Amino acid sequence: MSLNTDRQSSGMSFGNLARRPEAGSFVGLVLVYAFFAIMGGAVFMGAPGWSSWLNIAAEVGIVALPVGLLMIAGELDISVGSVIPASQMTTAIVSGYFGLPVLLGIGCGLGVGLLVGFVNGYLVTRTTIPSLIITIGTMFAVMGLTLGFAVLIAGSTSVFLVPGPATKLILGTFLLGMFNVSIFWWVAFAVCVFYLLHVSPAGNWVFALGGDRESARNAGIPTSRLTIGLYMLSGFAAAFVGVLQLMTYQNAQVATGQSFIFNSIMCVVIGGVLLTGGSGSVIGIVIGTATFAIVNQGVFFSGLDPNVGSVIIGVLLLAAVLSNDGFRALALKYSTRKG
Amino acid sequence: MNFAKTFAATAVVACLSAGAYAQDIAVIAGSIEDGFFNLIKKGVDDATLMVEANGGTVNYLRTPNYDNFGPDLVTLINQAVAQGVDGIAIPVWVPEAEVPALKAAAEQGIVIMQYNAGQEVQGDLGAINYFGSDEYQAGYGGGVYLAENGAKHILCHIQVPGAINLETRCKGVTEGAESKGAKVTTLRVPANLDGDVTGTAEAIKSELIGDTSIDAVMNLAAWASDASANAVSQIGGKQMIGTFDMNPAVLERIQAGTQTMAIDQQPYLQGFLATSMLFAHLKFGTNISTNPVLTGPAIVDASNVESALAGVALGAR
Repeated sequence: MSLNTDRQSSGMSFGNLARRPEAGSFVGLVLVYAFFAIMGGAVFMGAPGWSSWLNIAAEVGIVALPVGLLMIAGELDISVGSVIPASQMTTAIVSGYFGLPVLLGIGCGLGVGLLVGFVNGYLVTRTTIPSLIITIGTMFAVMGLTLGFAVLIAGSTSVFLVPGPATKLILGTFLLGMFNVSIFWWVAFAVCVFYLLHVSPAGNWVFALGGDRESARNAGIPTSRLTIGLYMLSGFAAAFVGVLQLMTYQNAQVATGQSFIFNSIMCVVIGGVLLTGGSGSVIGIVIGTATFAIVNQGVFFSGLDPNVGSVIIGVLLLAAVLSNDGFRALALKYSTRKG
Repeated sequence: MNFAKTFAATAVVACLSAGAYAQDIAVIAGSIEDGFFNLIKKGVDDATLMVEANGGTVNYLRTPNYDNFGPDLVTLINQAVAQGVDGIAIPVWVPEAEVPALKAAAEQGIVIMQYNAGQEVQGDLGAINYFGSDEYQAGYGGGVYLAENGAKHILCHIQVPGAINLETRCKGVTEGAESKGAKVTTLRVPANLDGDVTGTAEAIKSELIGDTSIDAVMNLAAWASDASANAVSQIGGKQMIGTFDMNPAVLERIQAGTQTMAIDQQPYLQGFLATSMLFAHLKFGTNISTNPVLTGPAIVDASNVESALAGVALGAR
């Protein structure tokens, strides 16, 4: 499989470096950090600045990792935007409103994510409808169900939950007062997804799926099971972020997740994942997420008009797509000349 | 043949009389995702019982979200007109879009009742009354309250830049605080942070770190003060926190002493009064001689948080 080149990091030649999917995004990260380090000064480079962008990056990053896997496999997942509030609300209703054990509540919340993921995956594999449309559909359905059940059961669109000290410590505390524990969860997710994509055999399947679904199936890859698994992972990750937010802010709202839809896709694209699938890397997604978060928070430390941040994000996104194409062309040219 | 004619005639008469005697009203409202509108809806639902007991109907129409706000509202107005309603209760958030559509509706004899927003266009529209809070007065009251309780430099956080009611609130906060010798900085964050608690918390945190003279934050939505409370606790600060509107977490913080106050505009009353008074006007010809009727600001702080919590438990506050 020629796509295997994406998984290997051999040698230090320019061609190999440029061919890596995260090469362009790493340059972007360095430029953006340098820019805001100059503008924001010591405060941005110190603990307050790092905690600010890491806290943002952690939450969107946990969602972006499996969304990135899906995009590498040639699919999209819009439903994460409503899985976050759905899991949050489920946990808050089970453990906050009904007062049942918090572990049960978290289990139900994460279960909602897995279930939505399963439905997404099942529909994507059993129909010919594009996954964009399917997950928009499930997003609205889940949003409606969340609202309906929240109002029906709790009589309100925001439900309150006070976590116990142990739960708070693991899922919703701030270390050194500033660094949200979600950062460590992000690292853990990144390590697991890295293993899945770049070490385990399933990783090859994901690339193959995004390269050519038909050939992948013919080659004996269980494409349906793999797709359903990826959607369940993305549902789980979104649900996990919902639980993290609930334990941090102690309040479940029905409309908290919408910003995650575009933000996660942007992180993945800035990280060099090819929109058409078949190429990308976990390191790239992590870099893309960090870049996104640095720009988002950097503007508040730099004294610039906060709207400048949105402009920079937009420009970065376009630059990422353009440079992906540029790097790809360069890399292909280089490798053909060599080979 | 004869039977058919009689039947048709009866049906026409029945339709006409239904149009003439059953007062049907439409209540147009904001997004279902917006917790605030659940409280409005609770008021509308309670008023609907009274309307239905008197032979009328209430159709509650809401925008799906706030992304395409003006056009969505006009679509709902036209939908209500097409359904042949006798009255419309509506907030005017986007006057440029809504006023022409509502005037066209009024020309067809539909009675307009305003609630929640758009008090300044009431004369132009010819709406029979306005139930809501005066944004400027509410902000002014909040600014005075924080300044009188010791704030010297207040950060007024706008979650959707350019929204007229939010800008007016912060203008009120600014002038209220300045009348008591305090200073106000307005923070307008990008609109994509609206509803994003973590993003907002980090944005407010960086402002508090960047300017240590800030000793109070005023938020314009309850969830945004969840974010402020988080920002203040992250930096171990002592900043006072105030907010417009409330949720259970806000009241819990007021009870625990980690939030100073909330400005309540009592949305239950807005939904309840706009619906019931519009219907009473159509059915019984009643008019309230107080115009506009202000449902806020009512300030909730440690002194009265218990009664507010009781209302929250019943879904009305």
